[in-house]
Amino acid sequence: MKKKLSVMMFTWEYPPRVIGGISPHVFFLSKSLAESDVKVHVVTCDFPGALPHEVIDGVEVYRVDSYKNPAPDFATWVYLMNLNMQREAAALVNKLGGKIDVFHAHDWLVATAGIGLKHVFRKPLLVTMHSTEIGRRDGLHTDTEKMIHETEAWLTYEAWKVICCSDYMVSHVKWAFGLPEDKLIMIPNGVNTSVYEGSETEDCEAFRAKFALPEEKIVLFVGRLVYEKGIHVLINAVPKVLERVNAKFIIVGSGYMKEQLLKIVRSMKLEQKVLFMGFVDDETLLRLQKCADVSVVPSLFEPFGIVALEAMAAKSPIVASDTGGLSEIIDHDATGFKAYPNNPESLAWGITKILLDENYKKYIRENAYRKVEEKYDWKKIAQQTKQVYKAVLGEYSKSFWA
Amino acid sequence: MRVIIFSWEYPPRVVGQLASYINALSIQLVKNKVETYVVTYHDSLTGAIDDASGVKVTRVANPIRVHIGVLTWDLTLNQEVERAAASIYYQAAEQIDLIDVYDWHFIPAAVTLKNALGIPFVYSVESLEDHRSANSNTPYNMSIRSIEWIGFYEAEKVSVKSEWMRDEIARIHNVPGNKVKVISPSGESWMEDVLELYKNVARGASDK
Repeated sequence: MKKKLSVMMFTWEYPPRVIGGISPHVFFLSKSLAESDVKVHVVTCDFPGALPHEVIDGVEVYRVDSYKNPAPDFATWVYLMNLNMQREAAALVNKLGGKIDVFHAHDWLVATAGIGLKHVFRKPLLVTMHSTEIGRRDGLHTDTEKMIHETEAWLTYEAWKVICCSDYMVSHVKWAFGLPEDKLIMIPNGVNTSVYEGSETEDCEAFRAKFALPEEKIVLFVGRLVYEKGIHVLINAVPKVLERVNAKFIIVGSGYMKEQLLKIVRSMKLEQKVLFMGFVDDETLLRLQKCADVSVVPSLFEPFGIVALEAMAAKSPIVASDTGGLSEIIDHDATGFKAYPNNPESLAWGITKILLDENYKKYIRENAYRKVEEKYDWKKIAQQTKQVYKAVLGEYSKSFWA
Repeated sequence: MRVIIFSWEYPPRVVGQLASYINALSIQLVKNKVETYVVTYHDSLTGAIDDASGVKVTRVANPIRVHIGVLTWDLTLNQEVERAAASIYYQAAEQIDLIDVYDWHFIPAAVTLKNALGIPFVYSVESLEDHRSANSNTPYNMSIRSIEWIGFYEAEKVSVKSEWMRDEIARIHNVPGNKVKVISPSGESWMEDVLELYKNVARGASDK
């Protein structure tokens, strides 16, 4: 009988702990790997009310005490959390009789745990780089940012292979850390289309009435309210859209720019047109995505752009800035409208076009949904990931560590 | 017997009096037929070397050059200490009897090595955060104290140089007295006491 492949994943977020895109990514990846006959152990941070150990869809999930050590700041907390993650994961690997074939770390937040366990157990380490500090901050300006950047460089150096979710990220990571081409592998992020299924004829009208007047079209933004997401570009596009179409702009998410944005919206006298929702529950978000007339992703830096994929899966037509991973997800005038990045006129043009041209809107939605089904299916992504594990283990078996 | 000593200072890097103590200790251990490895920090003299006295010294540097504090510097450096120790372990056919850790700096590496590879460790206490930064209760001090606590909790035995220190770690960290051994470096039985402690802690000692 062939031995089942066994992987241990490290991630600082896993449901119900959701901070950004890594949590759903690891959730669906590990679940789909388990369905592809891979034994997956996820080691992650604890969360109030969540069990320290449970099996979810065949995935072993371990939550470690992440606030054991008091920390003076976020970055120090990360390294201290890694100390405890490393300690508990080490004991776990031991308990499993060392039967782990590969360690797989997601981002610098679990860098030192991944690097440490690689060396003490002498097993290959894989890393998925979801984002980079130099990209998030558009440069390295403070000691914290430089330190995080160096930690990322170190992690990619220690990794056997580095997985990125878009061609854009492959070239970005290659440039940022000076990695050789053959160390990098592109495997796209996936989207779970099944949650968006359900009756096509679902009554959006009553639901829409909670947010907008009957004569208003709904323009949806979903994302953290931070600089890199370009939400300020969308706010600047609002008056230009309103010149031609009556619409309500619904902003879902929160972030450090929120107060500043509220002030700008007030000074533009657009309080009646722009609705800040903060975080919403999954059900509301799902219905908003399904009922919106257009979804906008105006990011300035976007390693992948999962929110665009989600909109496409929800059959919401999309306007996105032509940058990063979004450039690959969207084909202009085929699966969405690509706007010039950081350009409110261009963004307004795309939003208006979709809102006014029913045929264009329908054509884009259908193409986009088809692309999601063909390219961003978690089953296919899990198969690709499993192939990478196998290839790495093949190389490893010939090394002196084996 | 094969022992690895963790110390953040070792000649030529001398910060306080620990460097020369570790140097004298490891030379004495070699004379007593203990295969002695020292894993320590140096910014430029990195690598493994057997010095004239027969002590095998590995010096590691921090791969991260920019830091925001002692803690981030220490925690990242620990990964290199851990890597060096794991490398010694595998080259020694997985036969390391124990690790002797001096102060809090390299406790994290010792804790992982214990949980991963089953190598027991002695926590040798030079000083405590409470004494170095008296009456300081910032998150920074608390953080170091919490690393000291993990060290006391995970250590097989704790070694202190005076009865006063034994009482202090009992008072501050609730370390039970039977876990602690007082070994005075100026006492006549110093080396004997160290060897006896090592024998008690050595991997598998409890099975024999």
